[in-house]
Amino acid sequence: MSSRLRRLGISIWQARYIYLLLIPGIVYFAVFHYAPMSGLVLAFKKYNAKLGIWGSQWVGMANFQRIFTTPAAVTAIRNTLEINFSRLLFQFPVPILLALLINEMRGTKIKRVYQTVYTFPHFLSWVVVSAIISNFFANNGMINTIIASTGGERISFLSNAALFRPLLYFTHNLKEMGWSSIIYIAAITAIDPTLYEAATMDGAGRLQQAWHVTLPCIRATIITLFILQVGRVMNSGFEQIFYMQNPSVKGVSEILDTYIYSITFNAVPSYGFSTAVGMFKSVINLIMLVSANYIIKLLGGNGLLG
Amino acid sequence: MHTSLPQKTLSAAPKRKKWTKGDYAVFIILTLTALLILMPFYNAVVISLETNRAYALHPVSLYPAEFSLKNYQYLIDKGQLSIGFQNTILITISGTVLSMAASVMMAYAFSRKFPGKKLLFLLMMFTMFFSGGMIPTYLQMKALKLIDSRWGIILFVGVSTYNIVILKSGFEQTPVDLEDAAKIDGANDLVIFFRVMLPLQGPLLATFTLFTAVAYWNEWFWSMLLINSSGKMTLQTVLRSIVAEAAAAADVSTGEADLDVFSQGVKMAAVMMAMVPIMCFYPFLQKYFVKGVMVGSVKM
Repeated sequence: MSSRLRRLGISIWQARYIYLLLIPGIVYFAVFHYAPMSGLVLAFKKYNAKLGIWGSQWVGMANFQRIFTTPAAVTAIRNTLEINFSRLLFQFPVPILLALLINEMRGTKIKRVYQTVYTFPHFLSWVVVSAIISNFFANNGMINTIIASTGGERISFLSNAALFRPLLYFTHNLKEMGWSSIIYIAAITAIDPTLYEAATMDGAGRLQQAWHVTLPCIRATIITLFILQVGRVMNSGFEQIFYMQNPSVKGVSEILDTYIYSITFNAVPSYGFSTAVGMFKSVINLIMLVSANYIIKLLGGNGLLG
Repeated sequence: MHTSLPQKTLSAAPKRKKWTKGDYAVFIILTLTALLILMPFYNAVVISLETNRAYALHPVSLYPAEFSLKNYQYLIDKGQLSIGFQNTILITISGTVLSMAASVMMAYAFSRKFPGKKLLFLLMMFTMFFSGGMIPTYLQMKALKLIDSRWGIILFVGVSTYNIVILKSGFEQTPVDLEDAAKIDGANDLVIFFRVMLPLQGPLLATFTLFTAVAYWNEWFWSMLLINSSGKMTLQTVLRSIVAEAAAAADVSTGEADLDVFSQGVKMAAVMMAMVPIMCFYPFLQKYFVKGVMVGSVKM
């Protein structure tokens, strides 16, 4: 036993410089992530600024009960889930498709130019992109001008509740699909070319090769990214929705994040309740992540942590 | 699915010169996609360079009918945006230096063996999926006296767990012999880190430095929450308020048709000004980011 402790002591001493390098990072995570996590006790309290987080009065699960008895909160939960599962459907596959197409494209130079075009919006802020998209879809914007010039009726895309969500997915794809496709393209370039040769010998066409060779070969990448996406199922992209939201589409666009924001800053704030909503969101995310990971493992996949 | 293209076009042999129908189909789809992305941006550029009158007559045109830099002039004269630029440049530079230093040191440490590594790594990963959320984080900032301070943004925004994980796998991929050779020469971990590992990871570090800088440049949420005085406002918050002024006008009416056209030009000019620095760095960024992502995809 004591020799074991001695050995531990030695390896700690040997790693002393490593610990030194860790210090700034540990301080950062402790101060900005773990200290706020302890602030989650607020979710079980009625916040009183004078008494502070720790002095405030305990209220048990009252804040959580209030989530389910507040219609606006329930709507926000439903919208969040609806928007995010739709995102899995309408956003997740798009970069994979784009990667397959780019992979099929002839001409190295033009390929690079195109990839530049697809990727650059990722580096712009949502303030910029949403302003540009709003301009594009405005009543006197380019899309409506084209519609009008072909004799169609102008559509108010931005204030139409039925069109708001599709616009959300479209805009997100426009901004992020190129960037997200890079990781798939990287995975595709790592595929052994002899597999394609063999497939060609067997008479497989281009689409068949994409379906039977490329997709199965990048399966691991797809699964990993899918699990990560599921783990964010309660985060619907606050900034994008916040910028594109307006009163006429509030009913379909109010998500948990925008809801937390508005109850905290626009009305009489109840920090305890806001924190409870946030915590509820975080917990669901964690549950989703762990269960997606578990299900993938059950199905014989590798899961997130190997 | 399998039969939608004629058999002759389906071979994937890359050396053939002649384009098949399939090649054209791929080319056309990808070209349309690229145009779809470029059009809104091009449209915005044109509007920002137009006069009021030209825009009122033809809100959509392929080139500015009456070229004018007045929208840009107005923004520069107003000065609000230049305060935003100053603050954001300050925050971006200092924030990138500090958070890259912390991230790289942590990533390197996690690529070595030491007692307690697993636990610490797990604790770090956990923050990716679970957080205190907005209010506890805000109250913590308040406790640290970081409200209305640029330091709050500098210290908080830049460190990313995801970046650390990828940097870590970058360090893990460096050959062990180099480290062993240095150790035989009597170098300790710090010397190895600064003299051997950092120079080897040049491209990866460049990539993540630029990613971090972009994150600071585009940061909006915490600057909006933390900064109150107008002298400390960042670029994105200033930009947002310029854009929102026009949007609020649109909210009042039923549609955007009777929105003040001048403000639309100013809006687009502001957006362009905020974009330009990123677009200047983008070519350098692009050279490296594929490598950065690929290192990530190996280990993810």
